[in-house]
Amino acid sequence: MKKIAAILIVLALFGGMISAEGQQDKGSSFPNKDITLIVPWSAGGGTDTIARALVKNAPEHIGVNVNVVNKTGGQGVVGMGAAMAARPDGYTVGMITFGLSTYNLMGLSDMTYRDFELLQLLNQSAAVLYVNADSQWDSLKDLVEYAKANPGQVSLGHTGAGGDKHLSAASLATELGIEFNYVPFDGAAPARSAVLGGHVDVAVAGIAEIKQLYEAGEVKVLSVNNVVEEAGFPDIPTVVEAGYDISAPVLDWRGLALPKGVDPEVVAILEEGFKKMFDDPEFRAFCDEVGLNLVYKNSAGYEEFLSNMEKVLEPTLESVGLLK
Amino acid sequence: MESFMHLMTAFESILTNPISLIFVTIGVTAGIILGSLPGLTATMGCALLIPFTFSLPPIQGLVMLMGIFSGGIYGGSISGILIRTPGTPAAAATLLDGHPLSQKGEAGKAIGIATIASFVGGTVGALIMSFLSPQIAKFGLRFGPPEFFALAIFGLSMIVSISGKSILKGFISAIFGLLIATIGFDPLSGVPRFHFGNPNLLGGVEFIPALIGLFGFAQVFRNVEKMEIIPHVKSKVGKILPGRKETLKLLPTMVKSGAMGTFIGSVPGLGCDVAAFVAYGEAKRTSKTPEEFGKGSLVGIAAPEAANNGGTGGAMIPMLTLGIPGDAVTAVLLGALTIHGLQPGPLLFRDHIDIVFPIFAGMILCQLALLVIGLSGAKLFAKLINIDRKILTPVIFLLCIMGSYAMRFSFFDVGLALIVGIIAYFMEYGGFTVSPILLALILGPMAEQNMRRSLMLSHGDPLIFVTRPIAAVFLVLTVFITITSYRKMKQLNAKEKALMAEADADESLSE
Repeated sequence: MKKIAAILIVLALFGGMISAEGQQDKGSSFPNKDITLIVPWSAGGGTDTIARALVKNAPEHIGVNVNVVNKTGGQGVVGMGAAMAARPDGYTVGMITFGLSTYNLMGLSDMTYRDFELLQLLNQSAAVLYVNADSQWDSLKDLVEYAKANPGQVSLGHTGAGGDKHLSAASLATELGIEFNYVPFDGAAPARSAVLGGHVDVAVAGIAEIKQLYEAGEVKVLSVNNVVEEAGFPDIPTVVEAGYDISAPVLDWRGLALPKGVDPEVVAILEEGFKKMFDDPEFRAFCDEVGLNLVYKNSAGYEEFLSNMEKVLEPTLESVGLLK
Repeated sequence: MESFMHLMTAFESILTNPISLIFVTIGVTAGIILGSLPGLTATMGCALLIPFTFSLPPIQGLVMLMGIFSGGIYGGSISGILIRTPGTPAAAATLLDGHPLSQKGEAGKAIGIATIASFVGGTVGALIMSFLSPQIAKFGLRFGPPEFFALAIFGLSMIVSISGKSILKGFISAIFGLLIATIGFDPLSGVPRFHFGNPNLLGGVEFIPALIGLFGFAQVFRNVEKMEIIPHVKSKVGKILPGRKETLKLLPTMVKSGAMGTFIGSVPGLGCDVAAFVAYGEAKRTSKTPEEFGKGSLVGIAAPEAANNGGTGGAMIPMLTLGIPGDAVTAVLLGALTIHGLQPGPLLFRDHIDIVFPIFAGMILCQLALLVIGLSGAKLFAKLINIDRKILTPVIFLLCIMGSYAMRFSFFDVGLALIVGIIAYFMEYGGFTVSPILLALILGPMAEQNMRRSLMLSHGDPLIFVTRPIAAVFLVLTVFITITSYRKMKQLNAKEKALMAEADADESLSE
């Protein structure tokens, strides 16, 4: 009796699978089932939170749910690699992040943005230099003058070697002709506590990561390593406003991409759907709240941005000895 | 006093709106279930539930998430006790004595003690958090790289206590763990190490699959081996609540461990797992009957369990006061607060005292819910162990596969867990305990990175570790604890040898 029941269950399962397959084939209009968004960073992290906020109202904008799946590991290589290798039917979209600009240059992976069908850029964020409220420096100028007089003595905390924060600081240092004693931390939070505790002289972070401390007056923000002001923070001077000249800053970025070979019609539908999600007022309000600088670029603009980024990163990585 | 008034008002506001209690209950129950399943963690539970809290008032959403946190840390010990597979890393110390006790047929009692200890430890943690958050957070900031290094070494000194019979073999296990911990991308130099070109190893050996391998798969293999040899011990399910006398005797240990756990949890980077191991080591070191440890000692269950739940309150402290999460779960909670428009940090205490204290009150309520749900569910859980081993073992095997896969949807991790399981199985044959590997995996990267970071700060001068008072204190403590624990272990081994010799002598006499 038991055996018969077991056989029946197995048959039912198979039947279910077959009919599910069939349904996929029948539908002609895209999308007719849920879309998967692969996030290469862990659940609950910054990128993950943004992804989940973005797709929250997906059914209103694209007609189906977009489910976030976290495929983490390998500094993002695993998750982005999974998106790159996914079946190009448009049902798998990948979140790609800054690391993709460095993997090939650092010898971590051969993968570059050229291996993807770029969908859209979501955000561009500059790094800021910040110090403890008690610090002797009140402006970028103070810091640069001190650093010039004491080369290699200023300890600068960043969030991981080869990360956007490290490279932003390194590119700035090269352009300004100063030398820091780089102290890498494992992420933004430990670097932040090292500044608060006075263990490092200055640190570099995304504005979102220190927004609270800045508003509470616990830290002073010296400058934003960019040529344009950070939206919502007009009081923080850019490097240019601080009296220095930089050509191309290193910027953190996140965006959406598809595996190569997706039907152009499907790409167009996804492009439109995700743009609508991007413009959703709820998502906008969320990004304002966390201090995320949204920047939209369509696939062409996105590609140009990434190509320029590589050109900036190559000499920067070389300056810190990470170029392979 | 002012804090006390705030807390009372907060209780009043929560209790007048009983729907919050429902969310506490849902959170704790979900947490216990997630926590008890190997591979599913409180972190994952919180991350998945956050979207549901979008539409709730912040406090209701938060109490639910805190319930998952507390329940998850507690739930991990249930599977640890019953099937020697900790559901969460924090429960890895609890099983050292919890599982032997359940094998003696007292699974119910083991879970009962674990539940009460979780409640006591969690409550101590929640109270400390309610009244001392700003002070503790301020102290925590004095921990820079040299202090973290000293603290990690201090934590590693617990190896002596969890080594089992041979301290030397315990150290060999730990060094094996430390070596594994070096695999992967090195965030300090930006260079990948020992990953053999495999991107899956670029992030290092993932912690959860390693945990499942070390304990879960290894246990399955042992079960398979002994399936027909060892008769199945029927567990006495009836007695869940330990006697009042017993509980009172354990209470000082629970309170002490809970407070210790809160402090350790409040240091960013150290979590409930380290708290549990340190409390276990400390309980064993100061115990008058250390020979009972590892064989089902009640203190050996109560101490780590109280500490890991105390750690939950501790981990919340830097998150709320500084916006710096103490561990992975609080990092997710930080995200949840942000989504509700509440930026944790110093401003939260100034501008949102109406939110802060209900969070504290909610944490205390979570502990109460945990006690009630835990004790009423314990009987049910304990019954699980009476399932025939021939059915239970394949189920555990399946759970282990699912658990190692679910962490990041990766079959690579399943293979990794299996390989680790095979290694662990044979290591235990050779008398090597596997707990030191786990401790080394947790603390190894912390020790290594902070040592290098300190030397970067000091431009290569090693004196930085002894000229900074807190670091120096922890290093001295490490030496002291290692020596005293080592002596105790030696005495213990000598005692056991003497007993064995006596028994042998008796036998030969009777022959």
